[in-house]
Amino acid sequence: MRAPGPVAALVAALLAMLGAGPAAAQPLIAELSQREIAVTTGFSGAEVLVFGTATGDAAQPGADVVVTLRGPNAPVVVRRKVRIAGIWVNGPSERFDSAPSYYALASTRPIEGLLSAEERRRLRLGLSSLPLSPRGQIEDPSFRQALLDLKTDQRLYAEEPGGVTLMGDRLFHARLFLPAAVIPGQYRVDILLLRDGRVIAERDLPLTVLRAGTSAEIWRIAREEPFGYGLAAVMLAALAGWVGSVLFRR
Amino acid sequence: MLVYLPIAEMSVDAFLIVGIGLMVGLLSGMFGVGGGFLMTPLLIFIGVPSSVAVATSANQTMGASVSGLIAHWRRGNVDAKMGGVLTAGGLVGSAFGVQVFALVRQVGQLDLVVAAFYVVVLGIVGGLMVAESARAILRRSKQMRRRLHEHFWMHGLPFKMRFRQSRLYISVIPPLLIGLGVGFLSAIMGVGGGFILVPAMIYLLGIPTGVVIGTSLFQVVFVTAAVTVMQAISTQSVDVILALLLMAGAVAGAQFGAALGARLRGEETRGLLGVLVLAVAIELGVGLLRRPENLYSLGPAL
Repeated sequence: MRAPGPVAALVAALLAMLGAGPAAAQPLIAELSQREIAVTTGFSGAEVLVFGTATGDAAQPGADVVVTLRGPNAPVVVRRKVRIAGIWVNGPSERFDSAPSYYALASTRPIEGLLSAEERRRLRLGLSSLPLSPRGQIEDPSFRQALLDLKTDQRLYAEEPGGVTLMGDRLFHARLFLPAAVIPGQYRVDILLLRDGRVIAERDLPLTVLRAGTSAEIWRIAREEPFGYGLAAVMLAALAGWVGSVLFRR
Repeated sequence: MLVYLPIAEMSVDAFLIVGIGLMVGLLSGMFGVGGGFLMTPLLIFIGVPSSVAVATSANQTMGASVSGLIAHWRRGNVDAKMGGVLTAGGLVGSAFGVQVFALVRQVGQLDLVVAAFYVVVLGIVGGLMVAESARAILRRSKQMRRRLHEHFWMHGLPFKMRFRQSRLYISVIPPLLIGLGVGFLSAIMGVGGGFILVPAMIYLLGIPTGVVIGTSLFQVVFVTAAVTVMQAISTQSVDVILALLLMAGAVAGAQFGAALGARLRGEETRGLLGVLVLAVAIELGVGLLRRPENLYSLGPAL
């Protein structure tokens, strides 16, 4: 157990949930450690704890849990470098219109062993089953693989078999990491309870990533008032230069 | 201490950025240049997107040049009329440069174009500087004399203007063209362009060395200010947090640099600067020729 604190809190929260009458009707109860992540000037990434329990008939041994966290779509271009006259330049490219800006999957076991390929594609589960809508004319799977690899390197895509910990066949929790490069927007956590290659219960929870504080203001002004922002940047630089010349009396 | 850069959309170690500012400031104080040509490649090297590195470096160079300009203005070392002509050319050149920059970014070749400009421009300037200072050091031992101001075709051009402080009566076309070229490079490379402007003013225009630095700073301050505003409008890639961190380091570094530079002789200083400029050009050139570790790269769809 890495951190007993949150887990103890988790168990307490679950007990409280179980005690609540109407919620007990659902086969799957889940919650997030936070529903909102603020990207501030000190932001260097965040960890979200997803926890919950299966109840009633669903709470029998042998079930598996899959947790996914998906960010808003952000079109990206993957470019391949080619050698022209001895120099490496960006050559062919492929545009992916529906690539999620962030995607993480955690499961109790490798997802390939839990669901058939068709089921995974239907549920858009796992990096290999993500629909990315390549726009291009070139049918080259290496671009898709490159996108997955580059995003994984940036920790924006992750697949963690074994990332979900089950306790007593019904309590589960998973930790998902969001790096500093996450884009603000509406994120969604999906929790699936599986048995015998079928989804027997599911639950989804929203997660909001928003810019807050000074960095949010700076970003907003840079987009909405570019001229004023440019002038302010110039003024600030002039002021810094002047302060420097006063401080050191060059 | 990690700080989130709102425009670059990444978190960086604040001490690393201040350290880069300090180092570049040290060198710029030592050699009397803005240091943008070192700043931009260093920022790209630590992972800042090229567009943000170039635009922010222009902003930072402006701040660094303001304190120098104030100092030279106080001592009366600024030819404002010549500076004005150079700036006029610079504004046109940089406006054009920012448009080219935005266009190249859109077609996904920004990294290449920025690197190529660095290799070519720094390669030529660095090579000339090294050769010139080597010749000067040799000349010193041979005790040869060189004429300060030579007359050639340039002095036959029309639209002559009198520049009292520079003690010159020349056509405005050469300074306008020089300003234009440097302004263009300023927009593409995120530099002030002092390393081109200063030799051009001395050797091509024949401006006395006493007013060269102050006058070039005049042009650099106004052109980098214009580049900052234009980049903010057309590419929205000026990161003020990054610029402030860099300036905090650079302002302090420049003071130590100036003290260090005072101990070096003119020819040696220029030779060293030339070696440094050449080293940056070679490093970036090798980067273009070497097979990249990952052939694929990811960019936002613009």
